[in-house]
Amino acid sequence: MNLRSGWLAVPGFISIAVLATMLSAYSGASSSEGFAPEQPVAFPHTVHVDTLKMNCLYCHFSANRSPDPGLPAVGTCMGCHTVIATGKPEIKKLAAYWNKKEAVPWVRIHKLPEYVHFPHMRHVNAGVSCQTCHGDVQKMTTVYQANSLNMGWCVDCHIGQSNPPFRARYDCASCHY
Amino acid sequence: MSADNGATGVKRRDFLKVLGTGTAATSMLGCGSEQVEKLIPYLVSPDQTVPGVSTYYATTCRECAAGCGVIAETRDGRTIKLEGNPEHPVNRGALCARGQSALQGLYNPDRYRGPMVRRNGTLARVTWEEALQLFATRLAETRSRGGAGNAVFINQHETGSFPAFLDAWLAGFGMPAHLSYDAGAEHAVVAANRQTYGTAWPRLEFKAARLIVSLGADFLDNWGAVVPQQLDFADARADAERAPRLVYVGPRRSLTGLNADQWIACRPGTEIAIARLLAGQSSAEQAAAASGVDARVLGALAAEFTAATPGMVLAGGGGSGGLELALAANALNQSRGNVGVTIKPAEGYLGFERMSVPSELRAVAERMNAGTVSALFVRGANPAFTLPKSVGFREAMAKVPFKVSFSSYPDETSELADLILPDHHPLEQWGDAEPVRGTLSLQQPAMDPVFDTRATSDVLIAVAKRDPAAAARYPLPDYRSWLVSRFPGGAAGLTAALPRALASGTIGGDNVPRPAPAPRVAPAAEQSRGNMYLVVYPHPLLGDGRGANKPWLQEIPDPVTKICWQTVAEMHPATAERMGLENGDHVTIRTSAGSMTLPVLRYLGTQRETIAIATGRGHPHSGRYAKAGFNPLDIVPAYEDRAGGVAYVSTRAEVAKAGGHSNIVTTEGSSRQHGRGIGQAITLAELRTGTEAGQDPGASHAAEVAPQGDAATGAGVAPQGGEHGAPAAGADHGAPAGGSGGHGAPAPGDASHEFLPGLRAPVANDAQGEQGSQRSNDKGMYDPKHWSGMANRRWAMTVDLARCTGCSACVSACYAENNIPTVGADWQHGPVLPGRTGFGANILRSREMAWIRIERYYEGAEDGGADFDTRFVPMMCQHCGNAPCEPVCPVYATYHAPDGLNVQVYNRCVGTRYCSNNCPYKVRYFNWFGYGEPNRAQYAFPEPLNWQLNPDVTVRGKGVMEKCTFCVQRIREAENRAAAEKRPLAADEFTTACAASCPSRAITFGDAADESWSVAQAAKDARAYHVFEELNTYTAVVYLKKISHPGPGAPAPAAGEQH
Repeated sequence: MNLRSGWLAVPGFISIAVLATMLSAYSGASSSEGFAPEQPVAFPHTVHVDTLKMNCLYCHFSANRSPDPGLPAVGTCMGCHTVIATGKPEIKKLAAYWNKKEAVPWVRIHKLPEYVHFPHMRHVNAGVSCQTCHGDVQKMTTVYQANSLNMGWCVDCHIGQSNPPFRARYDCASCHY
Repeated sequence: MSADNGATGVKRRDFLKVLGTGTAATSMLGCGSEQVEKLIPYLVSPDQTVPGVSTYYATTCRECAAGCGVIAETRDGRTIKLEGNPEHPVNRGALCARGQSALQGLYNPDRYRGPMVRRNGTLARVTWEEALQLFATRLAETRSRGGAGNAVFINQHETGSFPAFLDAWLAGFGMPAHLSYDAGAEHAVVAANRQTYGTAWPRLEFKAARLIVSLGADFLDNWGAVVPQQLDFADARADAERAPRLVYVGPRRSLTGLNADQWIACRPGTEIAIARLLAGQSSAEQAAAASGVDARVLGALAAEFTAATPGMVLAGGGGSGGLELALAANALNQSRGNVGVTIKPAEGYLGFERMSVPSELRAVAERMNAGTVSALFVRGANPAFTLPKSVGFREAMAKVPFKVSFSSYPDETSELADLILPDHHPLEQWGDAEPVRGTLSLQQPAMDPVFDTRATSDVLIAVAKRDPAAAARYPLPDYRSWLVSRFPGGAAGLTAALPRALASGTIGGDNVPRPAPAPRVAPAAEQSRGNMYLVVYPHPLLGDGRGANKPWLQEIPDPVTKICWQTVAEMHPATAERMGLENGDHVTIRTSAGSMTLPVLRYLGTQRETIAIATGRGHPHSGRYAKAGFNPLDIVPAYEDRAGGVAYVSTRAEVAKAGGHSNIVTTEGSSRQHGRGIGQAITLAELRTGTEAGQDPGASHAAEVAPQGDAATGAGVAPQGGEHGAPAAGADHGAPAGGSGGHGAPAPGDASHEFLPGLRAPVANDAQGEQGSQRSNDKGMYDPKHWSGMANRRWAMTVDLARCTGCSACVSACYAENNIPTVGADWQHGPVLPGRTGFGANILRSREMAWIRIERYYEGAEDGGADFDTRFVPMMCQHCGNAPCEPVCPVYATYHAPDGLNVQVYNRCVGTRYCSNNCPYKVRYFNWFGYGEPNRAQYAFPEPLNWQLNPDVTVRGKGVMEKCTFCVQRIREAENRAAAEKRPLAADEFTTACAASCPSRAITFGDAADESWSVAQAAKDARAYHVFEELNTYTAVVYLKKISHPGPGAPAPAAGEQH
């Protein structure tokens, strides 16, 4: 490598790195969109939501009154599954946890960074459907992250772009504090 | 690699190399946030709780004997914040720094994890079953040997049912009643009050008094029921026209002293001479000769005292003549007709009844030494630390065959125990208190126990059940059932009382005061020879040392000295000068009980022949944080006053320069305002006439620095009234500070008339409209007509300096609310500067993180002689409308929100620190070491301290600037609540953590743009000013000037030094 190309390599490296970082940040490449981990119990949202028409709030019971949507207790599952479909392998797994008095260690899919505050109840009570952010969960045999959940994706909706009936404050300190 | 390739620039291979590395770096960045987390559900959902929504439990604070009501905010099973209970008759919603810090006791990383037994000299974990069996067996052995009558049970002093329950338990096993020990109490005053008023602690009606003379009584800090006294005192002083004058007499100017209008520096132990003068029993000359005070000052005091009725005389200070002094003060109150008017025994605080005195503990030490104590039980108290070392409690303990500690935390006493049965923290157990007559304050668990501990009451019941003879007396399963069985109304009554944790009635069993222990006459005050008087006083925050392992209390600067993490010897600057001592130079203090070497702190509020040291620090065995500093009780001789209290201030000491130097660990830059007008004051006369005589040196700053101004008028006598409208009632901004008004015609942009608090939410220059278009004239959310309505609010705060006492409760509340890390522990410093290690090393480099601090400035006595005035200024982010920090941020991490907040966006911040450099208020704090990151050595929240972290507030990482947010999380929470209930925010619906906690009600927070909020009204006060108004920062924090009350005929201390 001669001197000239060496001098060019340094700014070249920096500018490409910066470009790549920005591209990644704004394209959603740094998000975990599509993340579909294997869960300890293969819970089919399809059966519960699509077939049985259970309301999301039956299990995610605090989504309309808390920042936290609520995660069903193992007891909630067992409320039905002590009698329903007890012979199926996945239910046996669930019952095994229950009998051991252990919580099911679900793998978290949707996670915002800790410097973002997302109050579920504000969104649910404003009429934003669960599917707006979480995708068509009722059609997911294995739940995956349907959207990037990046800031630009949030802001699109807040400024009334992507979902015209909705608009909300887009001041930084609405979410970042 | 040929030269001709150079003409085309970068070669393909180089390009690929760069591209490859860049992508790798990006994907690594991308992966960083994708750690797989688990979501752990409940097995069975608990009733009545919603995840992410707080549950509030009303309970009782047990950090001191007063028994304040607290509301414990519990989120997802963990208590994260304490607030005062607004309905509680004692603290009325306020909470002091020690009460706030109860959480750091609950989550203390050094707490005992479970029961322990000493085997071969070391403590080993055992199960509760083994521990209880051992306890029962050893107890039976003691009894079979006939030793039960010689057993001693020392309990941390508290009111309520437990003391009676404990005595009944002890009596059942043939053991004598317990000793209820509070090392921090004013035993001489309690004894005198009982003798004179028939109650241990009367309520003090400050607002009825015209003159308060405090003979060493530090009633804002450590003397009695501190929170209600502070509330009443602030209320009395806020009423400017009827405010009582406060004169503080004592060898060291304590926090109460700094709040006094006048300080009379007498020699330690000579307060009695001044009491005699006030009683007309001696002349001013005699009192002057005894106390070392100018006879004219004393004469004026006596004359003022005679003229001012009703008055109030309070005594304290802990000298060997403490009982006589307290009796003399009470006699003065009686003879002047103050009892029932300003001193109200009928409404007294019961927290100080039935208290044992230190002389009883000394007697126990003597008996232990003689080998006549068969068993020692200690719960809560720490006599091995809080008694003077010369009492020899530690050594004597070794001669007791069976020692049980019920302490939740390791301490100097439990360190010597054979068996440790750790008690629940008060926030984990049932109990009650009777803080005032006829009111029961309930104590209920706010969360499940953090560790494998058990309530001592339950342990006692369990042990009784193992004894066939005693079992019949304890048919109930636990202490809660016992409590319910005796509660007025039974279980239903208890359930009804729980939401407020208050009930009327009394269940304390016999409420007849125990016969006062016979006062042991102190040994003749054998004064060790020495050149100075040694004054040992309880630390304002750490008290007798029980708060020492709570990092908040170590890190929050002493309200008086501004020292943290360190023990210093305070000396008058003139004395230090005479001895050739600079700040930090070591001195050796030698008494008959021993000697110790400490760095000197020059403190103007020390009498010239006095050296003063705070207790509370220097624990060898109380945990990781408590090791900071030294314990002056090591050199206090074991003398007592006639009431049996430790004589802390009656020792003479030989003080000599030791020839060493330590850096003084302080957060203070300067104790003087240098004319900057940060803490301003106004005299009552000026307030009445609506003029500002311009005599306040603080207010003259603009005139000094602005060459276009007329310096003479600026500092002088220019009456301000006409310029901006009369600053009388209803004026928008009130009296402008002397400086800004001194220039004649108002200058354009002058904050005093351009900015009316609350009425203008300034529009950011860079407001770019809805879509961020730079060509748009649309102001977006900054437009008051915007649909979000954000710009119609202006969050603002007023701080009334006439109320603020500087107690620092707000600082502790802020630490608790906002996840603020402490940085002063000795393992948290980086190896940057050799020689600056140990506790407080980071503080020496100004790395403290407190978002709110109390600035404390002295006015007057620059010559080191006369009395001086003190200004306490709570300083937090001023949320400037025209903020200097905002335009210098290269990444827009700090900006002005439409609702008036100066916002710091942590995830944008790259840590240039330009904002901090440009902030005139120095309220931005940089996170140097990642104090919030668990994998770093500097982590400030070692497990389980991190359980306290507020989930609504981001825990900041390394390299990020942070500052006061006006508790934006509380604003958002209130907005969310209002939205859920489909209503607008109600006025004064919520407040910030500092304002909620403030025991003097100095802070008001709210929407200044809405007239219905209190803050909008408070900002119109005639005393309103902005700090550094001349910088046109348009701050959202409005300070109300302190009101000085100069003595009759005497010039105000501040005015006295105008030249």
